Amino acid sequence: MRASLEGETEAWGEIVVRYKEAVFGLCLGFLRNRADAEDITHDTFIRAYENLRRYRLEKRFSTWIFTIASNLCRNHLRHRRYHPVISPSDPVSGGLDPAAVVAQEDRWTRVREGLDVLPYGYRAPLILRYYNDLSYREIAEVLSLPEGTVKTRIHRGKVMLKQAIEKDGVIHYERG
Amino acid sequence: MREDNLEETIKNVLQREVSDEVFHIEGLEGRIVTELAGQLPKSSPLEALKRLLAPTRGARLGQLAVIGATAAVFLVLGVFLAGRLPFLEGNPRVTVTPSGNEVLFIMPAIGAQSVTVVGSFNAWEATPLSDENGDGIWTKSISLPPGRYEYAFVIDGRWWGQDPLADEYVRSFGAYNSVRYVGLAGDGA
Repeated sequence: MRASLEGETEAWGEIVVRYKEAVFGLCLGFLRNRADAEDITHDTFIRAYENLRRYRLEKRFSTWIFTIASNLCRNHLRHRRYHPVISPSDPVSGGLDPAAVVAQEDRWTRVREGLDVLPYGYRAPLILRYYNDLSYREIAEVLSLPEGTVKTRIHRGKVMLKQAIEKDGVIHYERG
Repeated sequence: MREDNLEETIKNVLQREVSDEVFHIEGLEGRIVTELAGQLPKSSPLEALKRLLAPTRGARLGQLAVIGATAAVFLVLGVFLAGRLPFLEGNPRVTVTPSGNEVLFIMPAIGAQSVTVVGSFNAWEATPLSDENGDGIWTKSISLPPGRYEYAFVIDGRWWGQDPLADEYVRSFGAYNSVRYVGLAGDGA
């Protein structure tokens, strides 16, 4: 019985393979915590499977999946204390001279730290825009925000990050 | 830092974070398929009745007696109420919505060449689903009058009888079929 049912659901496994990295990236960006991102990615695909009936043809499937992930992330953040945990990456030299590698790593670290403390309301649109490559309209759909608000938040989010990078320090904001 | 450089940096940082951590979700698809397969199919009342009447009949006699008595009580009550409440005529699941309901058939099938749906609503003749944007999600919206419909998908010639959107499953000739109720308790209600 179990084998037969797995056969019936294996088509969904192919969907997971196709979208899991994008969903995981979204969750990691939103939550800034690897273990939480892993859990919410799992929950997103279970929830999507159980709610396929609510899928509407006018939405792209990826946008629909991202909406579920986004809602789960938001709910999760409401119920946990904020503690970003993403391990620093090992530097990748790629043939650059050591000084350039150090400068790039320093800049990336500041952006990473800036993202950690950026309010959720500004971080989420940035992730969807620059990691998931969504249009403003699609971001508005996923986050249930007006398109104008999305544009404003992306602009302000970038300003905040820029300040963090150029002021040689980390920005400190209230949780959004 | 210039605007385009900042955007590029954000993108690179996010991609790097994911590539550093993505190994944690290796095999996620297998875990999810196993978990979903563990959610046993809902079987129809007819299936449940068949199981009740099957080989262990002796042991079920007590249960049948209770069910029979309960059914008799409800039958008497139903006849009594039907005489006083004219709107309770017929089967409420299939008579509430007079017009057709748009029912969405959707099946994930990445890489499939053809996906069709066959069922009692099309005399088990194949109605093709389409995947216009190539994302592996095949869909077809069909207008159906209220009623109970058995169906299955056929993906590249292979029978897929357990649609996650189904209200229940039935076994027929050794294979599963899905069932949808269109009307009060099902799609479009």
